[in-house]
Amino acid sequence: MQQSEVTRTLTNCMMTAAAAAFLFAGSTAWAQKYTAPRAAWDSSHPDLSGIWQAKANAGDDIEKSIVDPSNKKIPYLPGGAAKVKANAAAKAKLDTMAKCYMPGVPRMMYMNYPFQIFMTPKYIPIVSEYSHTYRIIYMDGSEHAGYIPLWLGDSRGHWDGDTLVVDVVSFNDQTWLDKAGNYHSDQLHVVERYTRTGPTTMTYEATISDPKVYSKDWKISVPLTLDNKPNARLMEYECQELAPAVE
Amino acid sequence: MKKILLMLATVTTTAAVALFMTLPGAGQAGPPGGGGPPGGGAAKGGRGGGRGRGGAPAEPAGPMPKTPDGHPDFSGFWNLPDPPAAGVERPDAAAGGRGGGGGGRGGAKGGGAPGAPGGADVATIAPGGGGPPGGGPPGGGAARGAGGPGGGAPGGGRAGGGGGGWVVDPPDGKIPYTPEARAKQQDILANHLADEPELNCYESGVPHAEANRFGAQILMTPGYMVQLTEFLHAVRIIPIDPNRKHIDAKYHLFQGDPIAHWEGDTLVVDTTNQNNKTWFDLVGNFKTENLHVTEKFIPQDANTIVYESTMHDPTIYTRDWSMRWNLTRDMARPNSDGHPHELMEFGCIEGNRDVQHYTEDKGGKAKQVLGKKQ
Repeated sequence: MQQSEVTRTLTNCMMTAAAAAFLFAGSTAWAQKYTAPRAAWDSSHPDLSGIWQAKANAGDDIEKSIVDPSNKKIPYLPGGAAKVKANAAAKAKLDTMAKCYMPGVPRMMYMNYPFQIFMTPKYIPIVSEYSHTYRIIYMDGSEHAGYIPLWLGDSRGHWDGDTLVVDVVSFNDQTWLDKAGNYHSDQLHVVERYTRTGPTTMTYEATISDPKVYSKDWKISVPLTLDNKPNARLMEYECQELAPAVE
Repeated sequence: MKKILLMLATVTTTAAVALFMTLPGAGQAGPPGGGGPPGGGAAKGGRGGGRGRGGAPAEPAGPMPKTPDGHPDFSGFWNLPDPPAAGVERPDAAAGGRGGGGGGRGGAKGGGAPGAPGGADVATIAPGGGGPPGGGPPGGGAARGAGGPGGGAPGGGRAGGGGGGWVVDPPDGKIPYTPEARAKQQDILANHLADEPELNCYESGVPHAEANRFGAQILMTPGYMVQLTEFLHAVRIIPIDPNRKHIDAKYHLFQGDPIAHWEGDTLVVDTTNQNNKTWFDLVGNFKTENLHVTEKFIPQDANTIVYESTMHDPTIYTRDWSMRWNLTRDMARPNSDGHPHELMEFGCIEGNRDVQHYTEDKGGKAKQVLGKKQ
């Protein structure tokens, strides 16, 4: 009896899952069955190369992309909300992207600019159209180097099955997470997950930790779309051409 | 900062080297003739331990490695020379003392090159070492880690009595400007050096992008050569795809639109769609949006790429002209803690005072020079 109940429960679960997949074709439940093409010179890994761009304009307000916690609010420590409000009120002055500085991670991955991923066994560089900004994900098994604080952090990657996992530390405290003034400190720690979900889609997830600013870790998920037109290329957004005069 | 140093180098290399040594963030100069202490560039980036830029290999290099598809594999860290301080044109004999850029540049690079034949390396990489009075001290540039057997590289000839300049064609070493274009270049040199694009952290354009300090990492992937340059965090994404078409002629980019193909072991890059805001050097040798550059990356051995560029633009040049220099493998060693050598993050815009140095120091007012200049 007990066993049949278990079976029934499982069946119900499966039906629910099937229904969900049917209703939300293209969602995570459906897409995890996708097997990505292999990298051309390294068949043991999926090919993430190409020109990608965040589908939603997550860079305006990162809270819209939060998948954990379920209330879609960044779990700031006391005082955080007030600082976000103050940031937003003075964003033209305080958002370092208004001065064309490098955008930080994860913000670089969901700004309204495409980026191109290249795959080699030891290095996975990611080049953004924004102000010729690039970051290099080191896949050589090396550990974090203990660098001085950087705009884009220190990225060390490894493969979890077909998902690229990148651990990023060594940030400065000057970049924001979005245009809404959401912020972090130099204790920011980002763990990214890149998972191909279809011929032209990839899910970008980031778990964000910062004990100086947040009461617990939180997580975002942003869909990325591949530009697979044969002649596609990154153009140039040479930001500082339009920036305020040097003071 | 860089520009100031190079200007000084046109006056006296000694002064330039002295200034380098006072700069936080610049490597220590190795003594003439190479032999600087390993890791002499440790100050750069504040990383603990030596930066580990190495010198020339003691053994002759073998052939360039190959990628899985059988073409030369340029992957790795490369030294790109700075343009000569006096510009890419060969200086007039009467203008002795202009050839010193190579010496100062080399000293700044840091890490020593035990046993490196300094003078010869300077001659092949940074013309000026053997130049007229005022040229860099022989061997001053050995610390750049030049490719050992590079003395016989194409382009070695310019190391002779000419004393500088990278133009190899026409034979007089001069850019064949039309008279009007020459007048414009002279005007820039005299009155508008603050328009130099890199002062504003713009990318350098082609072929200048193959001549910048702190080196570059090249990655070869199926269908691309990617060059990540530390200086200015500049990027070149070069598709290797003869079927690709250039972007519409109405678009003009700092780094242009490169399309490459292989001719044997030579990577030939056809670069169009540049804007008119970048120079060939730091002294106003300029271009128009009509410029068409044919680049050649010619592997000479595992540690040396001969880089040639031919410029075609009938609107300001009376004939095509060519330059040549070498890219040499950066024999970077791991850090003192064993961490692999890596590019550092070069944040150019924040704290940039180059424009001020060029304007306020002359009594002018700092301003954004490109795009807003009257």
